Amino acid sequence: MQTLRLAARIARRELRGGVRGLRIVLACLALGVAAIAAVGTLTAAVQAGLAADGRKILGGDLEVSASSRDVPAAMKEFMRARGDISEVVEMRAMLVALDPQGASGERLLVELKAADRMWPLYGEALVDGTTPAQTALAVRDGLPGIVLERVVIDRLGLRPGDRVRLGEATFRVAGTLTAEPDRVATPAVLGARALIARDALDATQLIQPGSLVRFEVRWRLPEGSDIAAAARELRRTFPDGGLRIRDASRAAPGVEGFVGRTELFLTLVGLTTLLVGGIGVANGVTAWLNARRRSIATLKCLGAPARVIFVAYGMQLAALAVIGIVIGLAVGAMLPFLLAGLIGDALPVPPRFGLYPGPLGLAALYGVLCAACFALWPLARAREIPAIALFRDQIAPTHARPKLPWIALNGALALGLAGLVVATAQDRNFAAFFCAGAAATLVVFRLGAMALTRLAALAPRGRSAPLRLGLANLHRPGSPAPLMLVSLGLGLTTLAAVALIQGNIEREVTGRMPGAAPSFFFVDIQPDQVDRFDALLAEGGVTQQQRVPSLRARIVALNGVPVEQAQVSPDVAWALRGDRGLTYAARPPAGTELVQGQWWPADYRGPPLVSFDANLARGMGLGIGDSITVNVLGRDLEVRIANLRRIDWRSLGMNFTLVASPGLLEAAPHTHIATVHAPPEAEAPLLRRVTDALPNVSAIRVRDALEAVANLVARLGAALSATGGVALAAGALVLAGAVAAGQARRIRDSVVLKILGASRRQIRLAFLVEFLAVGVMAGLIAALIGTMAAWGVTTFVMRSEFVFLPATLVGTILACAGLTALFGWIGTGAALRTRPAPHLRNE
Amino acid sequence: MDVIANPNTPPSTAARAALLSVRGLELTVPSAAGPVNILRGIDLDVSPGEILGIVGPSGSGKTSLMMLVAGLESATRGTITVAGRELTAMDEDALAAFRRDHFGIVFQSFHLIPTMTALENVAVPLELAGRQDAFAIATATLGKVGLAHRVTHYPGQLSGGEQQRVALARAIAPKPKLLLADEPTGNLDGATGQAVMDLLFGLAAETDATLMLITHDPRLAERCGRQVSLRDGRIVSDVRALDRAA
Repeated sequence: MQTLRLAARIARRELRGGVRGLRIVLACLALGVAAIAAVGTLTAAVQAGLAADGRKILGGDLEVSASSRDVPAAMKEFMRARGDISEVVEMRAMLVALDPQGASGERLLVELKAADRMWPLYGEALVDGTTPAQTALAVRDGLPGIVLERVVIDRLGLRPGDRVRLGEATFRVAGTLTAEPDRVATPAVLGARALIARDALDATQLIQPGSLVRFEVRWRLPEGSDIAAAARELRRTFPDGGLRIRDASRAAPGVEGFVGRTELFLTLVGLTTLLVGGIGVANGVTAWLNARRRSIATLKCLGAPARVIFVAYGMQLAALAVIGIVIGLAVGAMLPFLLAGLIGDALPVPPRFGLYPGPLGLAALYGVLCAACFALWPLARAREIPAIALFRDQIAPTHARPKLPWIALNGALALGLAGLVVATAQDRNFAAFFCAGAAATLVVFRLGAMALTRLAALAPRGRSAPLRLGLANLHRPGSPAPLMLVSLGLGLTTLAAVALIQGNIEREVTGRMPGAAPSFFFVDIQPDQVDRFDALLAEGGVTQQQRVPSLRARIVALNGVPVEQAQVSPDVAWALRGDRGLTYAARPPAGTELVQGQWWPADYRGPPLVSFDANLARGMGLGIGDSITVNVLGRDLEVRIANLRRIDWRSLGMNFTLVASPGLLEAAPHTHIATVHAPPEAEAPLLRRVTDALPNVSAIRVRDALEAVANLVARLGAALSATGGVALAAGALVLAGAVAAGQARRIRDSVVLKILGASRRQIRLAFLVEFLAVGVMAGLIAALIGTMAAWGVTTFVMRSEFVFLPATLVGTILACAGLTALFGWIGTGAALRTRPAPHLRNE
Repeated sequence: MDVIANPNTPPSTAARAALLSVRGLELTVPSAAGPVNILRGIDLDVSPGEILGIVGPSGSGKTSLMMLVAGLESATRGTITVAGRELTAMDEDALAAFRRDHFGIVFQSFHLIPTMTALENVAVPLELAGRQDAFAIATATLGKVGLAHRVTHYPGQLSGGEQQRVALARAIAPKPKLLLADEPTGNLDGATGQAVMDLLFGLAAETDATLMLITHDPRLAERCGRQVSLRDGRIVSDVRALDRAA
């Protein structure tokens, strides 16, 4: 108790002098906590938005959906008897602008939604900001209304009242769709929204047997109903594996997945920032305690026990940590609000901003652990150093180590920090790899620092005095080079990894795909339109074409086990969530790469076999001879795996997850899908020819889709750059701290060197050599570890092929060396401005 | 008999041949309580090879005079000429180069670079001058001051006397024309101080350098061929050994 009182008195007196030396510690801690708090708050706000708007996003309390066929009438009756239902049909279609004479003009692929009069059950759909959508969709002047997203209106140059054609029907443009409650803001890669009334859909004749159409029935139950019980009853009464039943809590599973992945990524960024800040904390505390050597030594000489010193300085650091954490929490809680305008478009649902104690508490916990973990070592070291060594530490360093209990406590804190990262992460394996990687990175940079000082010591004495002085600075006792190297390390490694990942994504999208990609995908070609379609292509302009039958199938069981109960790896779970492409073929399609099993004989007519994606099979634990049950148009079919194929999904060619043996599926209603390669100048006439002659056929222009993807990638790239920027900002802050820590030495050296006749240029050059050597070494190590990290993320997380990008890395190294040199330049400039006389008088 | 220099006296013929010539030198520094006049018009000529002792009580301006002569401080008024070159007209880098080529300075607090070995400390001014034999000269000079066995030691590993000997070696290694020493024994005990001073006088004589020694110690001042006394920023006496003998 007396120790505490005494320590508190000493701490109070010390703090009277201000916290000047600890500003970097304060900033590092605040930055790290702010990053984590901001990520947590943003994620919580998005999840709250999802939860609050779940019914609106789903369009009801429950939704039943089916592909290529309507939901059974009996099921609709069952639902209608217990609540309200709304029917919606969604598909892709070609929207053709018509001139006043009725001639076809420009055309565009749209995401068509046909909604009944009950739609929307929740929320409000608005046209031009104020008009209810149902009013706009009504028949006027003999024509049903159609409302379109702004991008469609702009692209086709439409005005209200203009006429457009969908399939075989003509519509009147009724306005711009400004609010659609059940649409998750996903990027429109394959077309923008067009909305018509359900009643008007039949006249388009777009719904053909086997067409790619999604029928949805939304169900609104009376207030207070047990939604889960209603879903169970529905499933029990209609045990149809081809139907998908979702409730509002799973309104947007894709979005939840996206939010989860984004949260993981951003949290890791936040943690990197915190970790980099932690190094800043360690550096700052060490420098602060060094500056207090005389005070500590004096106190010890006067009889202050080590524990009083420890508690007194620990108290000051704790007080500062609390301030830093509070600042970080305040900034982190407010940042999402402030950025809402900038990032709003990128978010899938409108976030519900507010004060979320959970994420803020977690961020505070991270801050406390980080501060304790990184400040304990220098504090415990100061406790153990004898008074006389404190006076001489800089000149003849005492290699004092904290006593074993302190080392153990520091280890426990580090493990606690890592444990918290892993325990709170969505993907624990990834988080564990991150922690191990971060620790390994720190070790490698420490080893790199040793190598640098060793190399500098071994370097031959050159003719240039500044060069020799600069190199000698690296290996002198108390050289700040190791500190600077480790300080730069993590932030820079993150930047290098992010730059490489970004480069790989860009290369993947913009570099490789378009060359091999076809010009168009034509979908929904009816069997009786096949000959006509082929003839239209034969009229010219087509360099390559491929057409195959196409069905949609949902995988419902693996080896007889329903997919809900099957154990599959998370990276292939997506394949079980929706419909997959299914075709049939007697012979292996061109480019097929079998990795296991044999293709069936061309005249095979036995029990149905299937050729399956090798990667999915591995994730689902399936092999040759195993069975897959697929639901095609409401019918369950069991097929046996005959062989496994490697599918390159990036080829943008005709890729089917499932290719069945002929026979069974030929009789099922299906359509054809075709890929067509054409030179750019032939694309527009070809599109016009096919879609005029076959209005129900939709054309997906691959270039448009690629452009949309490229835009997405550009946005992703901007996010990645911002991420790297945050990590680098933290690194720069820590580097500034490290440079500041060595500033007293630089001032002293430059004063003495000036006395001895060194010019400012010589002094500046000497320090520049030192900083550049540190920067280049840091850049090289960061390039090495960053490459490994980027390879790991690209290969195992993105499941993509990693390509080494030397230019990107060279850029990173140069940027690093430049940044270090810049900081050195600034620090040296300040040292050079010091006038020798006052400094000499004070000695 | 004291000889009091008249500040308004123009340089004599002898002064024109002086190694160091100071005319009307003033130093005023600002402070919260108003400007402080540290030097109030100093005129001084020092001939080549002369051993000059500057004495005076604390605050009389001794150290400031040395700082100004070394070009480490800027004068408020007046001129300083060393080896025919006017220091007050030079910029910082020109002054540094001039110091490198003409001065050796020894401080009371040694001012060694603590992270450099004794050898590196002594070699630095030679390296800065681009001498390829910097380390050979530094080794030899450390031998002269009796520290041949300490070349790889850092200042923190040396005693105060040894540190001052390193500083001395560093000052004389480039063979300067003018040696400036500011209380070089102030931090040393009597016997060690005596040894260092013997070394300083011996080395100055050996290298034919002019020595300007600032000291409180009357016994040390007695060893100088000429004694200049300062008080309140003014020269109050300038006595040569011959005058003292007379």
